[in-house]
Amino acid sequence: MLLSNISINMKNIIFNKNLKRTGLYLGLASLLMVPSACDQGFLDVDPQGKEAGVVFWQSADDATKAVNAMYANLRGWTNTAFAPIAVESMGSDDAEKGSTASDATFFNDYDNFSVGSSDGQLADFWAGQYQNVNYANQVLDNVPAISMDETLKARLLAEAKFVRAYSYFRLVRAFGDVPLRLNVPKDATEYNLPRTPKADVYAAIEKDLTDAAAVLPLSYGKSDVGRATKGAAQALHAKVSMYQQKWQQVFDLTNQVMTSGQYSLFSNYEALFRIPNENSTESIFEIQNELIPSNKDASNSQYSQVQGVRGITGGGWGFNVPTKELAASYETGDPRRDATIIFRGETTPSGDAIPATGDNPMYNQKSYVPFGLYVSGFNEGSQQNVRVLRYAEVLLMNAEAANELGNTAQALASLELVRARARGASKTILPKVTTTDKAALRTAIWNERHSELAMEFDRYFDVIRQGRAATIFGPKGWKANKNEVWPIPQNEIDLSAGVLVQNPGY
Amino acid sequence: MKTTVRLLYILVFLCIGTITFAQEINVTGKVTSSSDGSPLPGASVLIKGTTTGVPTDVDGNYTIKVPSTQSVLVFSMIGMIAQEVPVGTQTSLNVALQEDARALNEVVVVGYGTQRKLDVTGSVVQIKGEDISKQSSMNAVSGLQGKVAGVQINNSGKPGEAPQIRIRGVGTAYGSANPLYVVDGVWFDDISFLNSGDIESMNILKDASSQSIYGVRAANGVVLITTKKGKSGKAVVDYNGFVGFQKVTNQIKMANANEYATMVNELSNVNGKGNVLDPSQYGEGTDWYHQILRNALVTNHQLSVSGGSDKTTYNFSLGYLNQDGIVEKNNFKRYTARLQNDFQIAKFLKVGYTATGSFSRSRDEAANIFRQLYTAGPVVPVYYADGAYGDPTDYNLGDGNNYNPQVTIDYYNQLSKKTLLTANAYAEVNLFKGLTFKTSLGGRYGQDETRSYTPEYVATFKQRNTTSSLQFIRPQTRYWIFENTLTYTKEFGNHNLTALIGQSAQHDQSYTMTASALNVPYTREGDLYIALGNADGRNVTDVGDLATYASYFGRVNYSFSDKYLLNASIRADGSSKFFQGGNAWGYFPSVGAGWVISNEGFMKGQTIFDNLKLRGSWGKIGNASVPSNLSTLTVATGGGLAAIFGGTLNTGASINTIIPPVTVWERGVGTDVGLEAAFLKSRLSVELDYYIKKTERAIFDIPVLRSIGTESGRIVGNQADFQNKGFEFALNWRDDIGKDLSYSIGFNGGMNNNTVLSVSSGANPIYDGGVGLTSGALATRTRVGDPIGSFYGYVVDGIFQNADEIAKSAQPNAKPGDFKYRDISGTNGTPDGTITGLDRQVIGNPNPKFTYGINTSWNYRNIDLMLDFQGVAKVDIYNANLGWRYGNENFTKDFYDNRWHGEGTSNTYPSANIGGGANYQPNTFYVQSGSYFRVRNAQIGFTFPQAVNEKLKVRKLRLYANAQNPLNFFKYKGLSPEVRANENKPTQAGIDANVYPLSATYNFGINVTF
Repeated sequence: MLLSNISINMKNIIFNKNLKRTGLYLGLASLLMVPSACDQGFLDVDPQGKEAGVVFWQSADDATKAVNAMYANLRGWTNTAFAPIAVESMGSDDAEKGSTASDATFFNDYDNFSVGSSDGQLADFWAGQYQNVNYANQVLDNVPAISMDETLKARLLAEAKFVRAYSYFRLVRAFGDVPLRLNVPKDATEYNLPRTPKADVYAAIEKDLTDAAAVLPLSYGKSDVGRATKGAAQALHAKVSMYQQKWQQVFDLTNQVMTSGQYSLFSNYEALFRIPNENSTESIFEIQNELIPSNKDASNSQYSQVQGVRGITGGGWGFNVPTKELAASYETGDPRRDATIIFRGETTPSGDAIPATGDNPMYNQKSYVPFGLYVSGFNEGSQQNVRVLRYAEVLLMNAEAANELGNTAQALASLELVRARARGASKTILPKVTTTDKAALRTAIWNERHSELAMEFDRYFDVIRQGRAATIFGPKGWKANKNEVWPIPQNEIDLSAGVLVQNPGY
Repeated sequence: MKTTVRLLYILVFLCIGTITFAQEINVTGKVTSSSDGSPLPGASVLIKGTTTGVPTDVDGNYTIKVPSTQSVLVFSMIGMIAQEVPVGTQTSLNVALQEDARALNEVVVVGYGTQRKLDVTGSVVQIKGEDISKQSSMNAVSGLQGKVAGVQINNSGKPGEAPQIRIRGVGTAYGSANPLYVVDGVWFDDISFLNSGDIESMNILKDASSQSIYGVRAANGVVLITTKKGKSGKAVVDYNGFVGFQKVTNQIKMANANEYATMVNELSNVNGKGNVLDPSQYGEGTDWYHQILRNALVTNHQLSVSGGSDKTTYNFSLGYLNQDGIVEKNNFKRYTARLQNDFQIAKFLKVGYTATGSFSRSRDEAANIFRQLYTAGPVVPVYYADGAYGDPTDYNLGDGNNYNPQVTIDYYNQLSKKTLLTANAYAEVNLFKGLTFKTSLGGRYGQDETRSYTPEYVATFKQRNTTSSLQFIRPQTRYWIFENTLTYTKEFGNHNLTALIGQSAQHDQSYTMTASALNVPYTREGDLYIALGNADGRNVTDVGDLATYASYFGRVNYSFSDKYLLNASIRADGSSKFFQGGNAWGYFPSVGAGWVISNEGFMKGQTIFDNLKLRGSWGKIGNASVPSNLSTLTVATGGGLAAIFGGTLNTGASINTIIPPVTVWERGVGTDVGLEAAFLKSRLSVELDYYIKKTERAIFDIPVLRSIGTESGRIVGNQADFQNKGFEFALNWRDDIGKDLSYSIGFNGGMNNNTVLSVSSGANPIYDGGVGLTSGALATRTRVGDPIGSFYGYVVDGIFQNADEIAKSAQPNAKPGDFKYRDISGTNGTPDGTITGLDRQVIGNPNPKFTYGINTSWNYRNIDLMLDFQGVAKVDIYNANLGWRYGNENFTKDFYDNRWHGEGTSNTYPSANIGGGANYQPNTFYVQSGSYFRVRNAQIGFTFPQAVNEKLKVRKLRLYANAQNPLNFFKYKGLSPEVRANENKPTQAGIDANVYPLSATYNFGINVTF
């Protein structure tokens, strides 16, 4: 433009000592200022206090940090608190809303299957899982090009595949067909993906888990405990296979885990869920939580808090409480009943007295953290790890697969391992299952899963998988050909401008 | 007295060495106003053809030495018709100046200069400082409410908080929606620091052509503020002060304890549980609003001294404001000091500066206190009989309102301090006749601090804290602006030409440091140091921003015979914000033309029009209020991304955002056509404007598909084009009745229509609202053809009365007492017997269609009266408070009275379960009219007669009483119809998620001039 082809040094204007001739010089100088070179420098400003994305993904350190961030997201609100309670627990016969009658009544809509597509928990659950996917995709897209130790690189990529598979498994169980995003979108044309058929999503999950299991180590040194292991990938793969009735695959994968020499059942079922016994020999994958006094942001898990006993300092909000149906479902004398359920008026094995009066007769004991560990200013129970996969479940999957494949002996043996641990020293409870009738044994295994994994966010989708949902959940509103999946979040459908199509019936 | 003044002048003249000749003639006299004979102080007396002149003194007297009897004296004053009088042999010359009724010489401030109102081809409105300062508004911007056609102001009752202002509707959809404030050449986003008493004038540039000289920062309009300057003459000391109080008005009534207990039971019953409270145990209970709110005192003092010689002028002022909040303990204090000097160093050189210091200190109120007052259970007493706090847990009310607001007040401890120093220095050089060079350097330095402390305490079950914590947030801002302009003015024959070229550079930096610690003891204020807290748990972090701008601009104003006017300007702006995207530069041109028809020969004989002018203009403006480095992908870090392995922390970092597809300059393009006319000896003046303002490639912060997996689920980018189209009028009538009564009545109004023209995602509209406002549902939609941020939801057709009705309906899961939604559409576009997202439609418009004001003033002898009215019509509010429930929050009395509580009890209001099921989904029940009309100001003043003044040795003494917002009329069922946009975002406008209550201010004041 007019002024842009003339140039003068800025200093001349400001520091011109020859003020007596001011007038003309200054006047002209003002016009001659800057352009081109000077402006470019003036306008090229560094981002303040934020590492630029372009200088990230340069080193092993960057790769490790990105994988860490991915794990960190797993403990957040949308991954472990309200959204999973709504989507993965409320529908089951084991849990109900809890808290006080009129608090957060939207949970009731999941419990009685009246929830509409606009409910916020659906959107939160969806967002939380896709955030995990993004953190994993960031690693998988960017780490391969980093020049670093190849062994570490391969492991980090495998960890990312595990987390991606885990998140897609949670999505596909909850929603059926979902957009399958295996790369970070490069531009706006890649933002809006349609739903991928469920079978293809499962195939992608299986591929990730196969790849991961091939690379991940059997175990880690102390400072890396909590990262995904080979056993975790195989156990998850087994579970994913079970949801597709690929029984041989379930059987093979569980056998590999069982023969890996890494795992055994922890003797005390109740103590298994207490903080000192986190990452025990029974643990296959746990979401790692901690209360770090100097870092409140990192101590952000609300998994225990939202389910904690109401009305007690150090307790919690009292959501996702056991139902009387769950309490009644256990075999006589099964110690897992008392280990799973905190009853009003009891004194817990950790020594906390639970008041005899209160909003709810029962609370979830598996997420319970003794009240004395509460630190004011932090979320109650923010120390508690989330048990995602336990060896007991591997055994039960092995039993179920063996039974389906006609290997009754193996089925009975694996089942007995789980029952024996629960039985402990007692001679009178939980008799050994001996039936060789396939159907009866299947029921026994399913019942064992119910008792063993109750309040661990497994039951709801497990019953649907078993094809018994209409029978078991029907009385409280579950309808076949609709409630196998939840509705796709309305916000997401709105934002997709019709690319996403709602599940039938919603 | 007069002799002293004269001597003073003579001294001044001698000092600066004016050369005098023996044959000079000493002329003295008095300049008065022809209408009432009152003396005119500060009028200019100039020897024609020279730059020699003197101002009149406070009594209108002057003394001037003229070189010869041939000399001609020019007497002039703003607002008066100048007179030229040949001196001849007279030594005493008294002149009566006529008021310039047509106000043709009225000067308005425009970008980088001033212009006669006559020459303006855009839409510029000037409001005098006194019209602002005579109101009791604490913020100068809120004083504009109802004064300017097309300017909408949403006030906040919160002490120290700036109002939201929209000039001709929503200009931008992202970033600061504030206009650019240019205070004596320094640019601001907010002028809360400014004392209204220091303002000489506010000039609102409403149309794009006037704004475009400010290029990239003009998208939301420009307000040019000049502060008071000293005038030559004896020192004038002014004191203005008032005391008064602020009182909550139009208070909404909540359910009392008895009614509340009934509702809690009804809600519990709906959810299949038994009764919770026994209503017979409760009567009125606690009125939490009554308990916590108070009549708040406000005190304001302002002292200024101004004066000067004809070579040097000064203005010094001090201000003090002490405003209590309507919530206990809440208080805001502001101290301001200002010094201004102008020096005429030589005939060709003038320099000057303005420096302002502002310090404010606020004892803050808890951010959620109003939500608490609205929701707290009335069954809970403030205190039990033993003096302990009433505890909601004892009533088993749940977490939604598990607090006693009194505890919140008692244990809340946050102190905010703001320090702002701003200064501007300039030098103006007359290079040769008509050519002026001006250089100016301005800057500001701000240092704020927010200190919050939570002590250890146990008040109720939920309200307790066992580890004290202390946090400091210290934002710092540094900004400088360096501008140079060259102005050339030339008059040749009937041609008038003014040309301006200029350059500007700006550097804007901010830095915020946050530090916190746990276990900080508190026995006295001096304990509140981070160092006294635990070493473990200390946290320090910081965040900063830096943006630079380089700009060049030019303008030409040309007029012929005061009949034909032509203006054109262009500005080129470079901004660091767009540098990374490769689009650093934006160009903003404008043109305007005017035709003063009344100055045409053929209009000479007519008597209808005293003034008739037609004008039209077009201009482009930009918007740079987007975050810096938007197009640079950055790495996220922080505790939330740190992983835990083996029980210890491992730093995490990754990328959890997507960068917008290249962000480019958002651009406003505006056209304005105006008509100005004056009739009936200029008693009636009319100004009409029609405008179309398009915002192209508007930058939005919008939700994106969560499946992309970003942290926020939002993205910023150029998303839509939208348009504001409207009509404005201002009518002013001014007249005298007899000798004693004069009055003026002004009526202004604006009509604005906002429409979205295109959305970059094509058919895909922009959804917003949601989190924390409307229970997570997206309650607004911005779609082509609709107004921006339209409310979007279900249409309520009634209330389900019984199970039978539900069974036959499209909502099989509903409960009696739930909203019955209209089945509008299904997947194939027709009603499908189920209620899904497809059944939603546009249900309201948060953009006001009409804004208007009526301003009147009356003077009868010594008594003056001001009555201002103001209103907004055709606007909707989304009353989110009604449905934003978690459990047993309290209900309004209105809701209690009208609720459904059994078959046939209501077909409009739902049951107590309004926050449950599908009832909280955005729907027509929550959309209410936000129209209002109010008495904005009522003021009566009394000016003491001269006799009293002499006795008291003052020049002027006036006492007044003022009421602001004393009467408000509206149907809206929330606290106040002045609902501010959440985070100032147009896509979240009009959603009432608990606003500060509306209040009226009553005060008594005094103006004294010594």
